[in-house]
Amino acid sequence: MKVLSFQQMPYRNLPSDFAQKHNSVVDTPYNELVKASEMHEYHVNFLDEMMHAARSGFDGLATTEHGQAAYDILPNPNLQMAALAYSTQVEKLDVAICNVGRSLGKSKEALRIAEEYAVLDQISGGRLIAGFPVALSFDANQNNGVPPIETRARFAENRDLIEKAWSSKEVFAFNGKFNKHPYVNIWPRPAQERPPVWAPAIGNPVTMGNIIDADDAFLYLSWFGPKLTGQRIFDRYWDMVEERGKERNPNRLSFVQCVAVGETDEEAHRLYKPHVEAAFRNGLGSIPIQGLGLPGYMDIKGVEHIVKDPGDFGLVMKMRDIKYEELVDSQACIVGGPETVKEQLIELAKNFGIGNMVLMVQHGSMSHELTMKNITLLAEKVVPDLKKIWADEDWDHNWWPTGVAS
Amino acid sequence: MTNPISIKGPDREEVIKVWNDQIDMKVKVAGNGPALVYFHPAAGLYWDEFLDRLSESYTVYAPEMPGTSFGDPYAIHKVDTYWDLLLIYQEVISKLGIENAVAIGQSMGGMVACDMAAHYTDMFSNLVCLDPVGLWRDDAPIMTADLYSAPPEKVPGFLFKDPSIPAAQAMFSLPTNPEEIPAHVGHVVWTLGCTGKFLWPFPDQGLGKRLHRVKTKTLVIWGKDDALVPVVYAEEFGKQIANSQVEIIDNCGHIPQMEQLDQTFGLVQGFLAA
Repeated sequence: MKVLSFQQMPYRNLPSDFAQKHNSVVDTPYNELVKASEMHEYHVNFLDEMMHAARSGFDGLATTEHGQAAYDILPNPNLQMAALAYSTQVEKLDVAICNVGRSLGKSKEALRIAEEYAVLDQISGGRLIAGFPVALSFDANQNNGVPPIETRARFAENRDLIEKAWSSKEVFAFNGKFNKHPYVNIWPRPAQERPPVWAPAIGNPVTMGNIIDADDAFLYLSWFGPKLTGQRIFDRYWDMVEERGKERNPNRLSFVQCVAVGETDEEAHRLYKPHVEAAFRNGLGSIPIQGLGLPGYMDIKGVEHIVKDPGDFGLVMKMRDIKYEELVDSQACIVGGPETVKEQLIELAKNFGIGNMVLMVQHGSMSHELTMKNITLLAEKVVPDLKKIWADEDWDHNWWPTGVAS
Repeated sequence: MTNPISIKGPDREEVIKVWNDQIDMKVKVAGNGPALVYFHPAAGLYWDEFLDRLSESYTVYAPEMPGTSFGDPYAIHKVDTYWDLLLIYQEVISKLGIENAVAIGQSMGGMVACDMAAHYTDMFSNLVCLDPVGLWRDDAPIMTADLYSAPPEKVPGFLFKDPSIPAAQAMFSLPTNPEEIPAHVGHVVWTLGCTGKFLWPFPDQGLGKRLHRVKTKTLVIWGKDDALVPVVYAEEFGKQIANSQVEIIDNCGHIPQMEQLDQTFGLVQGFLAA
């Protein structure tokens, strides 16, 4: 199994009453909440922590894109990824540079994404994993002004343009609904023949069907509590894979799992409890529920389905004042000593057929020191055994970077 | 508690094939007499007492914007631009054989009606706009983006000065059969999504550049307490449409024909009779 270290970039020093007073996205008051010196420090911390993971034996580094968000200050994660691509190249660290998003339903400049990813692939010597999420509704629609009902059409067209821009041998004209380019001929093209694509989604059957048909890897997340949502989403996924005549290869499935490791279970709960609880309350919990689906963002069938059966959303509705114990019980975050964490991760991977485990290692207010400790303990005591999962089965990994094409 | 609101509703539905036969446009029809075309707001066509009363003197034609008709949601994907939408409405009116009709538009429908009158300057005999969107002033933001982003319990406060009135309660009520609720909610949400295609993030398709072309005799009615589209826009419409009169209704939010039905209907009746 491939094991990646994943981080969002929350503002780490939010007030304790943040979730009562503020939303985490769109209208969060910057000047009231942010100290300039801290914001700078967190940017450097983020890169230091990612480099620590790269040096410690993780197979890859992963991150996401969100604009105008206090819980993930990565309006364009390719900027951070460029720094990491170069630094890991200099240190000869063979880690995947996995940007789980630039959000294609949000982007009004898709060709720029094709170019950015190509540049990352060149700097890293073909280590890019290209993430193509649709975008959360608040980000595409409220932050970027895309009419909600056009989000998915924009995603599809942007994706099409990027694929053509990467692969076409000829200069071509692209006359789309949203993109108008008389000459497409990007420099550079990716260093790999074609970077592998990972597509994050939350289990919508239409989106998952498209992911499988495109032969992308599906990336699912633990944030809603995999004990509540895992079985239904993963069963749905593998059923759809089989229905479409594709192989049940675990490598086509990636999973983001929050983890927090201490020397012992007791230490882990003591150290991480306040951070994990605050992370969920102040992050996902403080996104107004409408911000996850403005009218038109979700297909009418999806809306009907959710009204009938809100189960796919797990803990979301009560996240704003969620209790730590519920987060741990539902496995929204796996917390404990190395053996406890390892056991739960192995069980998840085997039960659900996960080939790529993307471990989220920093949560909310966790300090730099505690994040480094979490990464160290994971790398030393958990990751080596995770890597052995599926080792006795002979699956091709068609969703992993290949290096510079020959 | 029984709701005192009693709505007769449309007599029939006509289906008009438009846009090179790609769209079945549903038009609700009621009454007899001269033709009156009603352009619905962002929430879709809601047949209310105002339309009932109009249908006592007029043949009321109320087209449903593509995508907002129950059971035909994907028609919206055939309409790429606001320009397409205006042409589609023109085609519907033409195929219905309607000439020289009265046009009434509420909110988004008011914008569409004004734009139809700006594009087809001889299409209507009279034009009535009820709290229309379509203009934009930085000092008086229109709150459509906030409405679309609001939790359901906050929506009535954008539309009514007093959301407790029976007409408002009736409009927001869910089906009594629980099995019908998912489809109902899906339809309501999707309808806002469809109309949002032309309202998001601002309900400004450039009407301000075209209003000077409207030569139709126009009545602009505004709820003084409109929390969605501030009443200052009443004056803007009045200034920019040459042959217009403006009426402001006290104690009234964004939907005067529901919140102050008698007064609104009286103004419309008087205007059309003049």
